[in-house]
Amino acid sequence: MKKWLSGIILFMLVLSMAACGQTEDKATEEKEGNKETKTEEVFRIGAIPDQNAAFLQTGMEAVAKQLSEETGMKVEFVPSVDYAALVTGFQRGEIHLAWFGGLTSVQARNLVPDAESIVQRPRDAEFKSVFITQEGSGIQTLADLKGKSFTFGSESSTSGHLMPRFFLSEEGIDANTDFNGKPNFSGSHDTTYKLIESGSFQAGALNISVWEAAVKEGKVDTNKVKVFYTTPDYYDYNWTINSNVEEVFGSDAKQKVKESLLSMPGDTTEIADLFQTDKFIETKNENYEKIEKVAKELEIIK
Amino acid sequence: MNKLIPSLGLHKRFILTILLIAVFVWSLTSIQWNSELYHAGGIPTMLQIFEGLIQPNLDSELLLVGLESAWITLAYAVAGMSLAIVYAFIVGVLASGTLTSSKFSRIISKVFFRGILGFTRSIHELIWAWLFVAAVGLSPYAAILALAIPYGGILGRIFADMLNDVPGQPILALKSAGSSRLQTLIYGYLPLIWSDFISYTMYRFECAIRSSAIMSFVGLGGLGFQIQLALADLKYDSVWTFIFFLIALVIFVDGWSNFVRKGLTEHKRRKGMNSGWLSVLFALLLIAASWFYITLSEKANLGELLSEKNLEYASKFFGGLLGINQENPAFLNGESWALALKLTMETLEMSVMAIGFATIVAFITVIPAARNIANGSLTLQKNWYNRILYGVIRLFYIFSRSVPELVWAMMIIFIFKPGILPGALALALHNFGILGKLWAEVVEDMDPRPIRNLATAGASKIEILFYGILPIVLPRFLTYILYRWEVIMRTTIVVGFVGAGGLGMEFKLAMSYFDYTQITLLLLCYMILVIIADFASETTRKAVK
Repeated sequence: MKKWLSGIILFMLVLSMAACGQTEDKATEEKEGNKETKTEEVFRIGAIPDQNAAFLQTGMEAVAKQLSEETGMKVEFVPSVDYAALVTGFQRGEIHLAWFGGLTSVQARNLVPDAESIVQRPRDAEFKSVFITQEGSGIQTLADLKGKSFTFGSESSTSGHLMPRFFLSEEGIDANTDFNGKPNFSGSHDTTYKLIESGSFQAGALNISVWEAAVKEGKVDTNKVKVFYTTPDYYDYNWTINSNVEEVFGSDAKQKVKESLLSMPGDTTEIADLFQTDKFIETKNENYEKIEKVAKELEIIK
Repeated sequence: MNKLIPSLGLHKRFILTILLIAVFVWSLTSIQWNSELYHAGGIPTMLQIFEGLIQPNLDSELLLVGLESAWITLAYAVAGMSLAIVYAFIVGVLASGTLTSSKFSRIISKVFFRGILGFTRSIHELIWAWLFVAAVGLSPYAAILALAIPYGGILGRIFADMLNDVPGQPILALKSAGSSRLQTLIYGYLPLIWSDFISYTMYRFECAIRSSAIMSFVGLGGLGFQIQLALADLKYDSVWTFIFFLIALVIFVDGWSNFVRKGLTEHKRRKGMNSGWLSVLFALLLIAASWFYITLSEKANLGELLSEKNLEYASKFFGGLLGINQENPAFLNGESWALALKLTMETLEMSVMAIGFATIVAFITVIPAARNIANGSLTLQKNWYNRILYGVIRLFYIFSRSVPELVWAMMIIFIFKPGILPGALALALHNFGILGKLWAEVVEDMDPRPIRNLATAGASKIEILFYGILPIVLPRFLTYILYRWEVIMRTTIVVGFVGAGGLGMEFKLAMSYFDYTQITLLLLCYMILVIIADFASETTRKAVK
């Protein structure tokens, strides 16, 4: 029996050593490879998945192309299905530049303290959410929502969750306890109006530009769904750049990226279509202090 | 089964059946049954979804995307399963205690290695995936390991059980002929179980395909990724196109597994090994191609996995889970516990309800779904409609189990009020196909002689069912019910992701808010549930034996 035990132990040792040896080999290989490719490091950009994916892909690839042309770096767009996954990638330094919502940018900067919000659209300084309900539901004001069923968008969304929750709490409604059952998180702005239209929920809140686009394109039946409240302005989406960019791509990389972003969309219709804007402006971390405060108050950021 | 005390055995089974039904009824009482549960407004949306089913998007560009995603899903499933088999084999042998001789060391190794297997399979692959992604980043290895670990746990446990259940005589014969323990393992144990093990592995492989698709929901490419994107964009026709790709994959694996099973039983009769070797060759090719693809085109690198940077992130992450430097970790907070336990209860109710619904539907459909009944070889009756019924039901089974729970839940949520009922329905819809398939195979494999006797004695169909088929297959049916129940328990987390209630929803929120100690608390609650499930199914299994 002892023979067997020692046999097993020996076997496992050999196995683990073999495994270690192999990984070391690979690691050194990789390092050697890296030396040559250091300058070839890919600048990765990401975007929160709050829009039509194909649309997002074409728009962001156009951004990557333009960034690459203007900065001389190799730029690649990394698609993501999940807000949190993008934030995690950013935290790990794998995503160098990201198009975040207000809340996700604050979360990301919380995890990467030296990251910086650099560029936004003019409309992001005065963003709004709409509260919608079914026609004939009798809901006229935020206060009427007490005891009704309610859906937010994604839990990581600023315009679909954080700010609507904040304006509800200003009206004295605690989203956790005052609705009929717990609030739902639909996952996307488009799903939110679909759920209201189908009657799954009596009311919901979403991004104003998604709503306006849905009405324009006839994706939502306005005979069934109506807006009953539009929120005051707040800061939302922005381009956030990672703290490791200057270290990896050189000290002027950040400035170059910023200039390139500010020159967009230029003549590139894909970018203009995706962001629905004709220019970008500078922004700074301080603009998002209110979002951070609200998120902390609502215990979404600890 | 119970040759000595059949009446007591029947008695036990009867009590058990009553008990299980009572538990199911108890779970139903957790819902307030009224008209508010359902709302008609969702019907137009449901119709839109069904329109997509009838007219899927067959755009050639989309089909190419589908083809590529299907390959990614398959490659990851194959890579994950190949690792799982290695892990299951090593730990399974150790956990069976066949290599140890003294009673003491056998118990130690059994408890220790069975504990490892139990732990690794108690956590759903989606949670493993997410843990790996958080710890090592979006590396393809995160997905592969996330598949390999729980599947290895399940396979290893089954493997160990099979080794323990091997009849004693052949082993004794080998031992008395002076063979060593390793020799008894290789020449005694393995030949006796390998055909069972292979057919079980093939079945698990089919599950791995679906899991591999689900993996995409944590941000790894593949069919699930495409389904989720299309769903978020409300493009139902594209959703169905991708689901059809998934169904095609499942049918392919199902067909292969049938081929292998046939080959194994035929092999016993005649020495022709052709089909077996063909499958082995094909499997090896598939494994090589998958790893080749993943390491080359996905640029996976094992060295990177253990880089300094990753170790730092991993330790930071696990530190976060343990609540290091946290003022008020959720798992030390009474209030959080109270809330989490309430959700645990909800999750338990949801799982019981789900298996209850799945059992009812599978029970109604299983008899016509068995091949030996469809072709009349069991009951000695041939009806033209039996074959049609067989085809239709089998098609339903494949459809039901090919569509991931998550997709079912996303559709159901449009017509049911959110809560545990839509979650349970989604789980039931997905599981009745699996249960039905497993049961039908039990009926197909049963001894036909007693049934033929009954049939020739002039028993009606109903009588054959209740006096012939059921008493024979019931214990195995029950085993499968309990076994699927364990699986459903773990899967509740998936439907929770889309707002179907229970622990899953809370887990998703904690993930999005990077609230690590809350995640630890929820994982603890899952452990409690899995322990309950293990205990309950173990006791009932013993009771029916």
